[in-house]
This record gives sequence, C-alpha cells and structure tokens, in this order.
Amino acid sequence: MMTEAKATIVTENDWEPRIVAYCCNWCSYAGADLAGTSRIQYPPNARILRVNCTGRIKPEFILAALDMGADGVLVSGCHPGDCHYTSGNLKARARWALMEQVIEQAGVNPKRVRLQWASASEAQIFADGVRALVEQVKELGPIVREWK
Amino acid sequence: MTQSMDYVETPKKYVSDNALVIGGGVAGMQAALDIANQGYKVYLVEKTPSIGGRMAAIDKTFPTLDCSACILTPKLSEVARHPNIELLTYSEVEKATGHEGNFTIKIRRKARYVHEDKCSGCGECAQVCPVEVPAEFEEKIGFRKAIYLPFPQATPAVYTIDMDTCINCKRCAKTCTRGAIDYEMKDKVVQLNVGAIVVATGYKLFDVSVYPRLGYGRYQNVINAMEYERLINAAGPTHGHLIRISDGKTPKDIGFIQCVGARDVNKGVPYCSRVCCMYGVKNAVMAREHDPEAKVTIYYADIRAFGKGFEEFYEMAKTRFGVNFVKGRVGEVVEDSETKDLIIEVEDINTAQLEEVRHDLLVICPGLQPPDGLETIAKVLKLEQSEDGYLDIEDTFSAPVTTTIPGVFTCGCADGPKDIPDSVTAGSAAAMRATIILSKAGAK
Amino acid sequence: MSEVETPRIGVFVCHCGHNIAGVVDVDKVAEVAEDMPYVVFSTHEMFMCADSGQELIRQKIKEHNLNRVVVASCSPRMHEPTFRRVVEEADLNRYLFEQVNLREHVSWCHMRQPVEATEKAIDLVRMSVARAAKLEALPIKKVEVTPRTLVVGSGIAGLTAALDIADRGFEVVIVEKDKVLGGAVAKWTHLFPSDQIGEQVIEPLIDRIMRHEKIEVVRDSKVVNFEGYIGNFEVTIQNNPTGAERTYKVGTVIVATGFEPFRPIGYYGYGESPDVVTLAELQEMPRQYELFKPSDGKPVKKIAFIGCVGSREPGTKGHEHCSRHCCSAVAKAASDLRQRCDEVLVLYQDIRTYGRGHEEMHRLARGRNVIYSKFPPDQKPQVTIRKGKVRLNWFDVLSEDHLQFEPDLLVLASAMVPPSDIEETANLFSLTRSADGFFNPEHIKLAPLTTHTAGIMIAGAAQAAKNAHESAIDASGAAAKAVGLMARGKVEIESTVAQVIPELCSTCYTCVSACPYGAISIDKDAKPQAARVTEAKCHGCGTCAGGCPSSAIVMLHSTDDQILAMVEAYLCTPQEVTGGNA
Repeated sequence: MMTEAKATIVTENDWEPRIVAYCCNWCSYAGADLAGTSRIQYPPNARILRVNCTGRIKPEFILAALDMGADGVLVSGCHPGDCHYTSGNLKARARWALMEQVIEQAGVNPKRVRLQWASASEAQIFADGVRALVEQVKELGPIVREWK
Repeated sequence: MTQSMDYVETPKKYVSDNALVIGGGVAGMQAALDIANQGYKVYLVEKTPSIGGRMAAIDKTFPTLDCSACILTPKLSEVARHPNIELLTYSEVEKATGHEGNFTIKIRRKARYVHEDKCSGCGECAQVCPVEVPAEFEEKIGFRKAIYLPFPQATPAVYTIDMDTCINCKRCAKTCTRGAIDYEMKDKVVQLNVGAIVVATGYKLFDVSVYPRLGYGRYQNVINAMEYERLINAAGPTHGHLIRISDGKTPKDIGFIQCVGARDVNKGVPYCSRVCCMYGVKNAVMAREHDPEAKVTIYYADIRAFGKGFEEFYEMAKTRFGVNFVKGRVGEVVEDSETKDLIIEVEDINTAQLEEVRHDLLVICPGLQPPDGLETIAKVLKLEQSEDGYLDIEDTFSAPVTTTIPGVFTCGCADGPKDIPDSVTAGSAAAMRATIILSKAGAK
Repeated sequence: MSEVETPRIGVFVCHCGHNIAGVVDVDKVAEVAEDMPYVVFSTHEMFMCADSGQELIRQKIKEHNLNRVVVASCSPRMHEPTFRRVVEEADLNRYLFEQVNLREHVSWCHMRQPVEATEKAIDLVRMSVARAAKLEALPIKKVEVTPRTLVVGSGIAGLTAALDIADRGFEVVIVEKDKVLGGAVAKWTHLFPSDQIGEQVIEPLIDRIMRHEKIEVVRDSKVVNFEGYIGNFEVTIQNNPTGAERTYKVGTVIVATGFEPFRPIGYYGYGESPDVVTLAELQEMPRQYELFKPSDGKPVKKIAFIGCVGSREPGTKGHEHCSRHCCSAVAKAASDLRQRCDEVLVLYQDIRTYGRGHEEMHRLARGRNVIYSKFPPDQKPQVTIRKGKVRLNWFDVLSEDHLQFEPDLLVLASAMVPPSDIEETANLFSLTRSADGFFNPEHIKLAPLTTHTAGIMIAGAAQAAKNAHESAIDASGAAAKAVGLMARGKVEIESTVAQVIPELCSTCYTCVSACPYGAISIDKDAKPQAARVTEAKCHGCGTCAGGCPSSAIVMLHSTDDQILAMVEAYLCTPQEVTGGNA
C-alpha cells in the first residue's frame, strides 16, 4: 500500500533508491566507520541499522523492509570464519539462500537484496558494496509491490 | 636498596600507596587512570591550567584521521570525575625527598586568581575582559582574554587570570555572580606523601627559526606544523579555514618540509623524532581534504611509516589523496616580495635534479625536543638525562619505563619521542610498574 | 521498565566542531527532530562529548523529565560508553540511551553532498527516535573477577606480562605451544639498541618465572577450548605430546602470540641457494666470532642485506605493512658484522631507524663503512645464482648507476607476519584482525592494548610488527589492564542477552543448534517443555532470535519490535521532499 503510493508520487528523474542496510556491529558497522574516518565517499542512499551479528537478522526483517517500500536491502557481516560470535554469520548465510527464493516467489527481483562480507578493516569493500547495490537497484527502478 | 644483602628491610620502607603523576598529557592521563583503576589514589600534577596536553591542540590523528578532540575529550572527563584522581592543575613540583615507597613531595599550586570550587566555567568574565593577548593554545595565531580558558574542553573548566597582562580593571570580578574571582590569591605549597612517581612531561617542538635559510619567522607564509594544526581546526582561530597569514587567501600550492630539527647532529638533535613523517603525511592529506584542488607536496628524507596502519596510510596518501612526494632536501627559501609566495630550491634525490619550485604556503614539520622544565624536574628527582636531554631508562628490555631512580617511572615523550598509541601504552606500562610498588605498602 | 510509561525523548545533535556541522545542516536536523513522535526536547551543540555537552544532557533530563535520550554524533563504537554513563548520572538507565552516527556514516562519507547528507541524517535520527520509544530499561549486572590471568605465549611480551601481574600479587598461568620458553627474542643475536644477545635478556626472566610462586608454566601445550565472559573464563589446555587436558578458571587473558618471520620463497633466490637466508635465520647461525657460509663452510667475507622483503607491498594482502623492526635490526647486524667481514652492503628502499638509539646505530654502521645503497621501489634488485655463487644486480638511486656485488651470504630482512595458527587463536578468543593480519586493538590510538572482547588484552607483536623493547612495554601495559580488572574484584557486564517466552516455544531445537556458545538447552522439567538460556554463557549475538520460527526468543536491547520500528520510521514516514536531487 505504502509502496504503491510512494511509487506514484515520484517521477523517474528525481527518484533515488532507498536502501536498508543491516550491518553487524563487529565487522561491517566498524568497516563503515572506517570508510568514514578514511573519507571514502559513497552514495548516500543507505540507512545503516546496527545489529550485533548477521545471525540476528530474521528473514522477516528483509521482507518487511521490501514490503514497506525499500528499493533494496543490504546485509553485511564478518567474513565466514571471522565471526565475532564464531558462527552467527554462517547461520545468516544458510538462511540467505532460502530467503532469496522466497523473495523471488513473492515477485521481487532478488537483485534488490545483497549479502556481503566486509571486515572492520575493509572500508573500501563496504563502500563498494553499497555503491554496487545502489547502481543495481537504479537499473531495476523503484520497487513496485506485486505480491499478494 | 639495590644491594640484596642479608639486611632485614626496615619495616617502614613502603609507607604510602598514593601515586604522583607529573604531566597531564595523554600519557600521564593514561598512567593516572590505570593506577586509579586499581584502587590507589593518584595526584595528577599539570603545570598549565588544563590537562589534555598536546593532543588537545592537534586537529586530526594519523593513521585513521580520527579527530583528536573527539577521542580525547571523553578521556578528559574520565580523569576529571575519577574518584581516585585528584587534579592539581596550574601546579609544579618543587621539591622531592625520600625513596621508593615513601617520597615526600612539595608542590606549588600557582595562584589562578579564580577559586576552582566556585567557578562554573560560564565564561561571563572573559566576555567583559577588555584585554586581548595572543593565545598560547592557538600558537599565538588567535587571541584570548587576560582571564581565560585555554580551550573549550579545558579540564577543569575553570578560568585563570594571567596577571602579567591583567590591567586590574576588576570587570570580571564585578560580573562573576559566584564571587569566584580573587585578586588577592597567593601561591600555595602543598606537601604530599607518595609511594611512586610517574614522569610524563611530554615534549616541545624544535624551534625551526634556528635554520635561517628556511625563512620561518621572517616570511609570513612559512609556518610550522603546530600552527598548521590550529589553522585547519574547526575550533581554531580561523574556524578551520586554511588561509595564508599574509593575505588571508586560500593556499593552492602547499609544500611540507620534513625532518627539520631531527637527525641533525650539528643542531644537537641526532635522533629521529619518530612522529614527524606521519603527522606530515596526515597534514598533507588534510590539505587535500580541505581543498581537493590544492596541489600538495611533501619534501622528505625517508618516510618513516613504521607503526600499525602507517604504511597503508602513506600509500593511501599517494594514491587516493594525490599527495606528491619528493625525496630531497630543501635548500634556501626565498620570498617573492610581491605575492608573498615562497620559492624553494630543492634537490630531488630520485632524479638528481636541482629544481626551483614555487609554493604559496610552506609548512615546516619540526622534530621534538625535551620540554623546558624537564631539566628542573630531573634535578628535583635526581634523574639522569642522556645527552639529548631525554630521561635515561634503567634497561631497554627489563625496565623500559623505569628511570635511574627506583620508584620513579617515565612514559610518553619524557624518555624520547613517541606517537599517541606508543605514549598511551607506555602510560599503562608505567602505571603497572608503579602499582607493584604501591601494593607493597598496604593490603590492596 | 514500566511499560505504561509514555516515552519522553530528548534529541541532542552534535556539531563535532566542523566535522558534522561542516556537511550536515545540524540546525535543521534538530528542528525536524522536534516534531518526531514522543520528542519533547531537541537541540544542537558544538561538542556533545565535552563536559559542557554532558552537563547539558543531564540538565535537560531533569528539566524536561526525559526518559529516553538520543544523541546524534559520532559512532557509538567510540562514545556509547561515555553517553551511557552520562544518562546514568542523571538517574536514567543506560539502556534507555540511543546513539545516531552522523559523523562516520554521514558527514565524513558524503562530504560533497550536503543536501543528501542532511536528509540521511534526519532519517537516521527519525529511526533512532522510533527505536528509543521502544527501548526498555535493563538491570545492571555485576560479576566477580577471578583473580587469575591466562597469558598465551612466552616470548618477551608474555614473560614480562606474567611477571608484572605476579609481582603485583595475582596468579598467572602461562601457556606456550613450544617446548621451550622465550619466543623469538631468545633466538636473536643482534638485539638492539643495546649490546645484548637475546638469551641475556630472556634467561633472567625465565629464571624468575620458574621460581615465582604465583606463576604456573604450561609448556608444549595449547589452548583447545575457551568459554565464558569477562572475569569468568574457563580455559582448557591440552598437552601436545600426551593429549591430556586441564581446565583453568581465569578472570582475564593476555594474548601475546607474537609473529613469525616470513619465509620469502620466490624472493631474491631464497630457497635456491643455502647462502640466501632470512634475517631471522642469520640470528640463529652459530654464535662464534666468524660467520661461515651454509653451503661450503668457508668464512663469510662479503655479506649483503636486502630490506623490505615481503613488507610494504601495496595490494598484496598481509604484506602491505611495514615490519617496523627490520631497518634497525639490519643496521645493528650490519654494524656488528662489519668488524668481522671485509664488505657489508645494505640495499634499502627507505631507512626507518626511528627509535631511541636507532639513528645512532645507523650512523655507527655507516661510520664503520657499511655501504648503504638505495634502490627504487619499482625496480627491485635482481639475484642470480650460478654455480653456487650469489650475484646481486641493482640500480643505485644516488649514483644513478647499475651496480653488481657477489656476496658470500645474502640476508633478506623478511617481514613480520602473524603465526600460521593465528586464525585459530582469533576464533578461540573472538578477536578480529586488521589488514596486516595481526589482531585489532579496541581503538588504534587510545586503546591499543585492549580488544573488543571484554577481559582480553593483546601485547607485543600479536598486535602489530614491533621490536623487543616495544613488546616489553606493551606487556606491562596489558598487565595493567588485566590487574585493573582483577583489583576491582567486580566488573559490570552487558545485560543484552536472549530470553525465551516459554508459552511461544515449540521446542524445535533451532535455537539450540544455532547458539555458538551452547547457552541454550531445552528444559525438560518445565511444563510444558521450553528452551532455556543460560545467561552467563550468552554473548548476545541474537542468532537464536534470528532463527526462531515462533518468535519465542526476545533479544534484549535488539528486539524485533525495536528493529522493525526503525525500518518503518525510515520507509513509512511521509516526506516533504523525496530522494536527493543531485
């Protein structure tokens, strides 16, 4: 509902993707911090939500964001093997494959969601990830809710 | 006490479990915190009106470009509100007797002419003060009043009257609703009993006017690195706008000269000052940050990017920030009398070419030296100094933070130049060794 | 705590000098925040973290009876503890504080887009305000600290830390994977800047360690399991030859696992001739007056060193860093050996003899006619090995000449790299690593010895390449951190743990298998059966809550409600302007 209303009021030209980014506290949130301190510039479309671990992220969080009108969702965590909590990110990875299927079945292009690994020292990888998703979503255009 | 004969130690040897830390810079603050966190009482003596030291005046820090004030400020308030730390600012150590475990210290608490317990730091007094003098904290580029707070986050947030410039108009006293101002205040001498002492007296910048060929002090657009820090600082005299002192214009072509007053046997500074390469690189990066159009060149001997993340930062300065690095010594600096630009003669070692280059701002990056007053403290505490003036340590490996007097420890730049992380680490280390002694005094 | 309490939120926007206010319109952010749900007060201030900013927060909490505080400033990874303390001083539970990151995540990474940055800042504040409205107070928990430290590694850092802690009166367990104590320094011949060999430095330490009643040394063993939380760790150490295991309770840990000298296979003929050795291998050659060639046993008359081998290589992961000790180590070795060899040559990129007494060593080496020659970084020396002879060709920057030298022994100053088992150590103690491969400190400038895992410290080359003198200082510093915790006796721990709502639990075991710490079990005695969290073992990752199909697990301070409120606040708030017009 909200989505469609949104989609109608924006015109092609002034549309900028709205991205929800779930980042784990220990790697990617810190990586995003480092991107800032290193003054790495990247598109301002993402809004970062801090969670302790990517393992905390319920599939519903991603679906809800898309439902509410996010044009893309980024999940960014520690590299497999480097999780601050040993293995939370492995759980996130295992859930991801299933999540992508659900998204597709709901009629949303899975290219709107992105799972990436960026450690606390990989500021550039974090920034590049945001940029890649923003560009990808720009190609797809604003999300239009087709499900239900 | 160094002979371990069969004497039975006098039971009174370890008397006090209080500690004295001399110097309220980042090293001294860390030492004080790490001692206080073990439950011991610490007297932190600082000769200026505020703790914070040099780090408080620095704009950004290498290699992460964190802003210095941002990371230091919470430390300042942590020290100020620690129940085991007593701050004695605007104070100096005058006399010391005794030995490890039982020192008697006399401290002169200089008159601030403002009562610490009454001043709320509101600043009404400074607003009415008619006297303006160059501010030390701003490297004398900015101004302060005769009654002043050295910098906004000064700790304690208590004003001080500089009686050398005060004209005794009494406006401040009339304005102060708390009656905190007291022109009749006298210096006080207090006596302390402590078991261990940490010396954290910091450094001073080498006076670059000793090299007349570089033009510092003669040409307005030749400045030193600390002046540059204040010029790019948002809380500084220009609100963070980097300008040329001569005409207030934004510089477009900046040169940084490294290794001035360091590694020079003839000037009594044979040692490497360890921080200048990196602060130079950091300042060059910040110049590009402030103005991406500006051309920025560093003239260096070796870039000593040795610490964690330093080499990576140096690489980033070259590639991402586009700082131009020239290995070479700068000869004579000449001022263009019309434009006030600087023309330098430099030999590029990599190409063996002698070149003349024009810059509109030159920043000289001086080395570090022991601060004025270290000699006095060394005399009072009977500490040995090496030829270059830094405190001697007992042993490189087994006692790297112990001075030649048992019970007296050193950290930060008191025993040689150090960057912030190394100063902080040494502060913690000195605290550790000090508390081993303090623990012998009581059942802590 | 009381759920009926209506949120009264205060928003404090920080300028951070020019750092935030130079890009983000802080005025506007504070103004827009005023109209956000439950916000009763909103302002902006130069430095929120300064005493004046802190005082402002405390004062406004009282004045407006605020029960939630949102500070929009820098990364919470730096200042969350500061502001939590501030609100506590005004009698507000620390978990009712929420921080917005306007600096690292906004002003510093969108410096040339002030309009978009301001819009992003407003969104982030809106999200945090929404979350703040749903925050709940949590109890502050204190735990006892076991007065014993585990020191991992027995190099100069491990030995020094152990002695300091024991001298201060606390117990220490040192575990060393090797059969002997002493690490790299014990094997080092040309220690600097003093004229000592490694053994002379290490032996007295080992001697004191072995006699110290507070220290237990566990050699030829490694840590195989590590559990618990600050103050209450349980560590299992396994003996290498026998496989026997023993468990210790410790309150703090110092990781001093050191480095490994890089074996530069493929560099400068290393591995092709026995007469090409690393600097570390040179240190272990027989300590007699003359040096003999490993190939034929003849005396070494001509020796050459090459610097920066496997260090300072941009783009090569794990080899981008400077190894810090090598320039000075080479200067010392070269100047020592010059008295026994006819010719000593040092090829370098830069000379980084930065430490106290190091420049003097470098000068002494030159004074003894050690030849220093600089090669360009993009034109490395060439080594050819023909008929067992090592030949060196390089371009000398200063003379602009191609030069040649045939050393009897070629010494490569190879990089300091992390030990091969560092990943295992990192996982065991939940430590993160930086780009150089070594462990990340809590803060690179002001907290270089502590880590993000509370109660675990790092010292010496475990943190970054460094020399013996620096490692010893690190060790004492890390010891101070450990003792600080133990001397206090009690420390506060995070209350952010998972909780089960038994009525919703279907005992599907998803959470039990998801928990990395074995903190969740099914309580079979309960009626009906339900999952149960052992709070002391819970680290608060929330993986259980992320997987629970019945939403039966509440991750305190990171509840589904709190997270979704943020998403909703961002996406479902009608906006006056959409998007960011470029």
